[in-house]
Amino acid sequence: MGLEVKNYWVLQVAGREIWITETIVNTWIIMLVLIVLAMIARIKLRSFKDIPTGFQNAIEAIVETFDAFALDSLGEKLTYISPWFFMVFIFILSCSLFSVFGLRAPTADWATTFAFALATFILMLFMGIRHREGSYLKSFIEPHPIFFPLNLLGELSKPVSLSFRLFGNMLSGTIILTLYYALTPLFVQIGVPALLHAFFDVLFGALQTYIFVVISLMYVRGAVD
Amino acid sequence: MLELAIVISVAHIAAAIALLNGITTTFGQAKICAQAIESMARQPEAADSIRSAMFIGLAMGETSGIYGLLIAIIMLFANPLIDILLTYLG
Repeated sequence: MGLEVKNYWVLQVAGREIWITETIVNTWIIMLVLIVLAMIARIKLRSFKDIPTGFQNAIEAIVETFDAFALDSLGEKLTYISPWFFMVFIFILSCSLFSVFGLRAPTADWATTFAFALATFILMLFMGIRHREGSYLKSFIEPHPIFFPLNLLGELSKPVSLSFRLFGNMLSGTIILTLYYALTPLFVQIGVPALLHAFFDVLFGALQTYIFVVISLMYVRGAVD
Repeated sequence: MLELAIVISVAHIAAAIALLNGITTTFGQAKICAQAIESMARQPEAADSIRSAMFIGLAMGETSGIYGLLIAIIMLFANPLIDILLTYLG
């Protein structure tokens, strides 16, 4: 684990440099684990029974909890976008959980968090136009057309603040752990960092994941209602 | 060399000043927590909805503290002023 994002390879594509950084490789590792889990769940889905046991029980509990949460914060008519937010939730949560094992969390890089926040922003605009059409676009020039720059600035600051919140929290945890590993002698590096990992990775990671998803849902709902 | 030393020291002081916004952020979050606990004590049956609203409020209040932290990190680790100075000095 380090303060800076390491760069592994540089690819040349059409005269441009494409950097394969530590973030991208770690994202691939997490994606691989999640895709394998999803495929196992899909294969097991064929033999699901009416009365759940074991693995099926766990999967159903996770999905039902998230569905109830999405229904609570999105309302009836918008629950069809909850799978996307379930993916975001699971991915960001596993990013912070994998950093317990020494992978640098991909969310401690602004590129990842801004990608998710931009996706939320585009989804917000799309859902607003789809569900409210003219009246959503009209909300940019309310209460008077002279307020248009202010409203636009307010909307554009949403993805920025959303991404910086998650990025700052994960980066501060990474910095504190790196400083601890760099400054302390070897005999206190066994056992004690477990507490720091539990606090900065597991607790803060879970809390910030929840907050990211709740605020994303709030923005989408605010655009639709 | 003296110019570089001045820029680096000023950048460190600027990082410290940027982190001072933690004071106001902490006061804001303390106010949110105090009010939430007060309302939970008054209405224990509404504790769940108050708790989720409290977390959202805490996250919103935390944003300004995070901005200060990021400015401090940029000042310390990715300072653009030092590059400008190095190209100026040649």
